[in-house]
Amino acid sequence: MDIILQTCVNALVASAFFALMAVGLVLIFGVMGIINFAHGELYMVGAYLVWYFYASQGWPFLAAVLAAFLIVTVIGLLMERTLFRPMRDNPLGGLINSIGLLFILQVLAVQVGGVGLMKNVPPAYRGSLDLLPGVSIGNQRLVALVIAAALLVCIWYFLTRTKVGWALRAVAQDRDAAALQGINIDRISMLAMGLGAGMAGVAGALIAPLTRVEPYMGHGVIITAFIVTIVGGIGSLSGAVLAAVLYAFFHTFVTTYWNGTVATMMGLLIMLVVLIVKPTGIMGTRVSE
Amino acid sequence: MKPSKLALPALFALAVFMVALPFGLKLHQQDFMISLLVWILVVSSYRLMALTGEYSLVHVVLMGAGAYGSALLAKLAGFSVWLAMPCGALVAAGLAAALSFPLFRMSGFYFLIGSFAAGEAIRLSWTYFTVPFGGPKGIKLIPSPELTLPGVGPIAFYEPIPYYYLTLIIVSISLYILYRLENSRIGLTMNAIHWRAPLAESVGVDTWRYRALAFVIASFFAGLAGALFCHYYGTANPSQFDVAAMVYVLIWVIVGGVSRFSGPIVGVVVLSVLNELFREAEQWRPLIYGCILIAAMFYLPDGLIGLPGRIRGWLDARRGAGAMVPGDGSEKPADFASSKQR
Amino acid sequence: MGITRRDLLTATAGTAILGSSVIPRIGFGATKTVKIGFLAPLTGEVSAWGLPGLYGCEVLVKNINAAGGVKIGDDTYTLEIASFDDEYLPDKALQGFKKLVSEEDVKFVMMLGGDPWPGVQRFANQSKMLATTLLPSDLSPDTPYLLAPCEVHPIYNVTGVEYLARNFPDAKRAVICAQNDSLGIPSVATYEAAFEAAGIEVVDVNIFDPATTDFAPLVTSLLAKKPDIFCYDTAYADFVNLIAQQLHNQGYKGLQISCTCDNYPQIVEKTSKEFMEGFIFQFPDFDDPMLNEPFINFPEPNKFFADYNAAHPGTWTAVSWEYPSIVLQWIEAAKMAGSIEPMQVLEAMKGKPSWPHIFGEADWWGQDLWGINNALVGKWPVVVIRDGKAVIAEYGDIPAWWAKNKDVMIKRMRDRNQMWDQRA
Repeated sequence: MDIILQTCVNALVASAFFALMAVGLVLIFGVMGIINFAHGELYMVGAYLVWYFYASQGWPFLAAVLAAFLIVTVIGLLMERTLFRPMRDNPLGGLINSIGLLFILQVLAVQVGGVGLMKNVPPAYRGSLDLLPGVSIGNQRLVALVIAAALLVCIWYFLTRTKVGWALRAVAQDRDAAALQGINIDRISMLAMGLGAGMAGVAGALIAPLTRVEPYMGHGVIITAFIVTIVGGIGSLSGAVLAAVLYAFFHTFVTTYWNGTVATMMGLLIMLVVLIVKPTGIMGTRVSE
Repeated sequence: MKPSKLALPALFALAVFMVALPFGLKLHQQDFMISLLVWILVVSSYRLMALTGEYSLVHVVLMGAGAYGSALLAKLAGFSVWLAMPCGALVAAGLAAALSFPLFRMSGFYFLIGSFAAGEAIRLSWTYFTVPFGGPKGIKLIPSPELTLPGVGPIAFYEPIPYYYLTLIIVSISLYILYRLENSRIGLTMNAIHWRAPLAESVGVDTWRYRALAFVIASFFAGLAGALFCHYYGTANPSQFDVAAMVYVLIWVIVGGVSRFSGPIVGVVVLSVLNELFREAEQWRPLIYGCILIAAMFYLPDGLIGLPGRIRGWLDARRGAGAMVPGDGSEKPADFASSKQR
Repeated sequence: MGITRRDLLTATAGTAILGSSVIPRIGFGATKTVKIGFLAPLTGEVSAWGLPGLYGCEVLVKNINAAGGVKIGDDTYTLEIASFDDEYLPDKALQGFKKLVSEEDVKFVMMLGGDPWPGVQRFANQSKMLATTLLPSDLSPDTPYLLAPCEVHPIYNVTGVEYLARNFPDAKRAVICAQNDSLGIPSVATYEAAFEAAGIEVVDVNIFDPATTDFAPLVTSLLAKKPDIFCYDTAYADFVNLIAQQLHNQGYKGLQISCTCDNYPQIVEKTSKEFMEGFIFQFPDFDDPMLNEPFINFPEPNKFFADYNAAHPGTWTAVSWEYPSIVLQWIEAAKMAGSIEPMQVLEAMKGKPSWPHIFGEADWWGQDLWGINNALVGKWPVVVIRDGKAVIAEYGDIPAWWAKNKDVMIKRMRDRNQMWDQRA
């Protein structure tokens, strides 16, 4: 019994990170129609910034996370302005540009931090909280979970309860119609890209003390994020969150009771099945063009 | 794309050049040429798929399926390598045929990611099932082909020059087939599906069938390329055919330019040669590569094959009033821009 | 670009002189240069197994050259490292091998081994080039010119288990976790054999995907088996780091044994001294005083460690000294042969039944496991963390263990399809 509960706790933490990554990807794809292959590298940059500010410069952890959020957001804004906006009518161009950026960011990470062992980011919150006998959650994970969940709630509130959020979703649904309504597409694109990048940055920043901080850490994450995005339905933010939770629970349980490789394989197959049965994803409403 | 008067002599000159080439190369460059020829076949077959408007991420995994299929048939079933290679290619084609049922329920971005998922699942199964795939280490000591010519004796196909010629012949024939296919009725239909899918359907074209056909044929040649690769280097392992390799293929195709048959070939040749030229830069190499990609997207949105036209444009602009300077990134050539319609 | 940066870095590395036991100081006319090939991944995800080794070799070579080079036969040579990035791909490795041999004219090639090796094997044999690997699982009867002169992974792991069983006779249940790759699987077989030989039951083996990022589920699953001993197998140093944190978080209190624990100060910092007390592994710090024993064949290890860290801070791993120790062995062999020609050097090395390995005299060995005696096996340190610091507890004797438990080991290797004749 305690194993099942412990696995649920493990899965909950994983879902929060999957959701942060997937929602960002969905925003970017929804608004700009671009697959951001460099999304995993933004996550990597977030983790490196926490390593730099918190572990090397001695800033408080939360200040470092905030700095990572702001800096990666700015990187996202710059990406939109310089790499994606000129490619607005050329989604393949946007894809290739994001791949180019991926290579550049990886090399910069190697130059800044070297290769070899992962960067040392000691936990800011030590110890763990015993929820039940035999069921515990590390304090660092707990903090990460809380912040990630809070951020997701904020994003949800922003997108559904504010005017700008409405505008953003309108662009995601139909760019041309939104433009006719007088919505400034450039500004909304920058907003989506900034938010999406910022969320990836925060995910990387929060997870830095818990994972391998190294130049290629974005690689595995992007694959998971794609799966979650597809299962949830590309146009759907709530779908992305729901899919993140489902996928995290599925993957964590199969890993615990069977094997991680099998979990990934089955996850991919389930995604294929979802695509076959409902090609728009579990919550998607838009029909693919 | 009408063949101009110059086409035949140019083709002949290219053939002479390719035949003479290995003798002007250093030892390691001969190997590089073998790899390059194999990748040329991969990107050209990928283009057939792209003609229908779909970009897949499973192509390199199917290349791997060809390699694994051919290697296992030669090693375990005792097939002659000459038979194993086409059979390996058939394995890839068969796998593609099976995959076409689920995958072609989707299109565009969904197809891209769906094909990626299928590919990763196949690749992970090579890692997971040690028998017969060898697990993460893959298959080693894959035999090279054997041939004894009367009067010449056995040909050492494990040597670079003989294998180069073997690869050159097989790749040339394959490219010819792909080229003819593209300009045949089938190819034109495929193209029509890309640009005018509803219209094509309305005149009774079964778009699913043509998409699947393009996918299966493209996969056959990708599998053949994989088989060529593994019987020279003697090994096949899952990480050779991972998403990183797929991303390179995508880059070569797009940076080269999809609008013409020669585009992806130019892409893979130019980018691979550049990559080798930057070897001195060591760890900085991927960064230079990344910059080249971005620059290409900005200045050559119709691909490297658009470069001669662009240069002509620049020269004309300089000679003329200079009012219009192409290549500032704001220009969008019609054929490439419309790829968003997929 | 890379070249300028490296020159800058090596310029700061200091110009001190290595111990005269290995390198004679020559005051005059060191003119000839001998090139040593370095063929390993230098970019991409596997570069952590190559780049720190290249750094180490450059620090070593710089020191040797500053001391006047090496006298081989009648000539004095300065050393030069010629490197090629194989991207961990067999085709690139073959191109690199050919380039190093036919154009750079190197006299031997150091490789990481593993996936790229099968691509190189035929040409290496054909060109009769001396090559070395860090992964002895590349060895087979078809690799007469390939040596594993430094790391004989995973056979040395038995010394840690032997030490553990001797000191903690009450520990009877072990769990093993291992990444699914060419390091992890043979190592599982080795640990299974070592535990069996020591009368310890292995209650669970969990083989995980190297792409794993979250180890919470794995740890939960293994701790459910209530182990006395948690064995990390040959998990990458970073995985050990993350798994240890999870074990700590989930309240594990038992014994721990691992092949590597490269960055244990980090782990101590992230968990606690008490949690890490008694952690057993196989790779000593290079400032360990026990490395100054007379039988250690590495001149001034503590100083090398300091020079390295000055030149490339934060990149030190086990491969940082493993490749350099191979360079030192080659120098020793070339001196004995009086020649730099690959086959003569190989003959000098293999001609002696035992050879100075970094941890003392060792034997050419491997017939039973790899079908060829091309791996150096002798003593290997057992390192234990005491009060937050890794110290060499003893030097374990691998041949002695082998003599007693050979059959167990061969059976376990066969069960996991790791014998050379089973490899596809």
